[in-house]
Amino acid sequence: MRIPILKLHNYLLISIQIDLDDQTAIQFQEDLLNKIHQSGATGVVIDLTSVDIIDSFIAKVLGDVVTMSDLMGAKVVLTGIQPAVAVTLIDLGIHLNEVTTALDLEQGLIKLRQELEE
Amino acid sequence: MDFRTCVNIQKEWDIVGARQFGRDFSKKLGFGIVDQARIATAISELARNIYLYAGSGKICFDEVENVGSRGICIVAIDTGPGIKDISQVMEDGFSTSGGLGAGLPGVKRLMDEFDITSKTGEGTEIRVVKWVR
Amino acid sequence: MAKNLKEILVDNSNGLVHMWLEEVAEKQKEVTNSAISQDLFENTNREFVNIIFGSVEKESLTSDLDSFTERVINLGWPLSYLTDGLQLFKRVAIEFLIEHEELDVPVPKVLRHVDELVNPIINQLVNEYSGSWENTVSLQRVALQELSAPLIPVMDNITVMPLIGTIDTERAKFIMENLLDGVIKHHAEVVLIDITGVPVVDTMVAHHIIQAAEAVRLIGSTCILVGIRPEIAQTIVNLGIDLSKFPTKSSLRKGFTTALEMTNQMIVQTNSEEQTIEELIDSLDRSKQS
Repeated sequence: MRIPILKLHNYLLISIQIDLDDQTAIQFQEDLLNKIHQSGATGVVIDLTSVDIIDSFIAKVLGDVVTMSDLMGAKVVLTGIQPAVAVTLIDLGIHLNEVTTALDLEQGLIKLRQELEE
Repeated sequence: MDFRTCVNIQKEWDIVGARQFGRDFSKKLGFGIVDQARIATAISELARNIYLYAGSGKICFDEVENVGSRGICIVAIDTGPGIKDISQVMEDGFSTSGGLGAGLPGVKRLMDEFDITSKTGEGTEIRVVKWVR
Repeated sequence: MAKNLKEILVDNSNGLVHMWLEEVAEKQKEVTNSAISQDLFENTNREFVNIIFGSVEKESLTSDLDSFTERVINLGWPLSYLTDGLQLFKRVAIEFLIEHEELDVPVPKVLRHVDELVNPIINQLVNEYSGSWENTVSLQRVALQELSAPLIPVMDNITVMPLIGTIDTERAKFIMENLLDGVIKHHAEVVLIDITGVPVVDTMVAHHIIQAAEAVRLIGSTCILVGIRPEIAQTIVNLGIDLSKFPTKSSLRKGFTTALEMTNQMIVQTNSEEQTIEELIDSLDRSKQS
């Protein structure tokens, strides 16, 4: 199963709408980095509105993807993390400190633009 | 102990199956949405540990009752290599697999009760309970 | 024989009632409750003793007892009034039976029999009383929970959560869940947590607040902690709690200003009073013409 990655001007938009298993998550990591390389995108929004479980593995993959994209010159914003997911992440002791977050896709794009302009 | 249902963990996809089952089960028991996510996440961690370290095992579910409250009891059983130093794996940030090391201590925080027994060479059994609030 | 004992009690109910009332009145002198009028007291006593007899006679618990208990509870009388009364009844009955000439039943049997008659009544009373007590407690708990984590959407994208009173683990969890749901519901870019009303901020409370703030950040909003009083700032630093990761302000007003800046909003005074009045008159004129 592959997660579709959409391109919009300089941005890449991803909406994850399935229950992520490990393989899909790793595949996604690879796909996204390739896509950044191909398109030269400067900003990425990953929308997690439909994700209802993030365990420590998926959290690590997401955190890694943010750091990796950063290395390749693309800023990542995670959007739409559900309250229940946020609470479990905190309980797990995962804070994703380096990651920028936003309430929804729209806010995410605004934040990206602000950060890239600075 | 006699369990109502068990989910075998052999393939990676079984992790997803186990946590989906756990989420449905906890929903039926009357857990709120946040606790459902806590339980499902804890199952995911336990199942992943089985898959990564023991290869195969099972996760069993049952309903438990106490004075005036009920809850879900989840037991993860494997016959893998066992854990040498339990206090070490219960430390935050300890990992042998390059993960975040949030697994077991995280599970402990997600749930209300946490018991672990392990023998080197024989396997590990982790029993967790969460009460309906 | 058991029947006989009961019959003797019932046959001599008048005497017993009299003895009981005297004893109760005696007891009452020790703990006089001025709030209760003498009349009410005597009436209640009389009713009570009749109900005891009714129950003893039928050897079962009557609905009269239920309604009587309920009334006494609603009057706010102490449980000890009821239990003392029954204990006294037991004593009176035992004394009476032992002194009764025609009877040659051994004393332990008398004791046991009276126990069997009266104890079920005591048990029921206590159950009823504690049931109503538990009910009150659980109702208050619900009321308290409703009060414990209010969310006020002040304006677009800004929400305030004032916290008042002690925060324990249970409440902290509730606060966190309510806070996160509220952020999503009101689409709040900034949430102000006001801890002016939290009397003590120890490591545990601080820990819960930090966790809530972290969770708020994860779902894509920002948390500002406001209402930090001097003594709280002192304890936070003395305890070595690190709050540097998210903004803090001393008052809600300062926090609100920051929140406005963060959401690119401003409060502007639109026009002066005179202008408003002029406009009002203008609009009245216009409406007259049309």
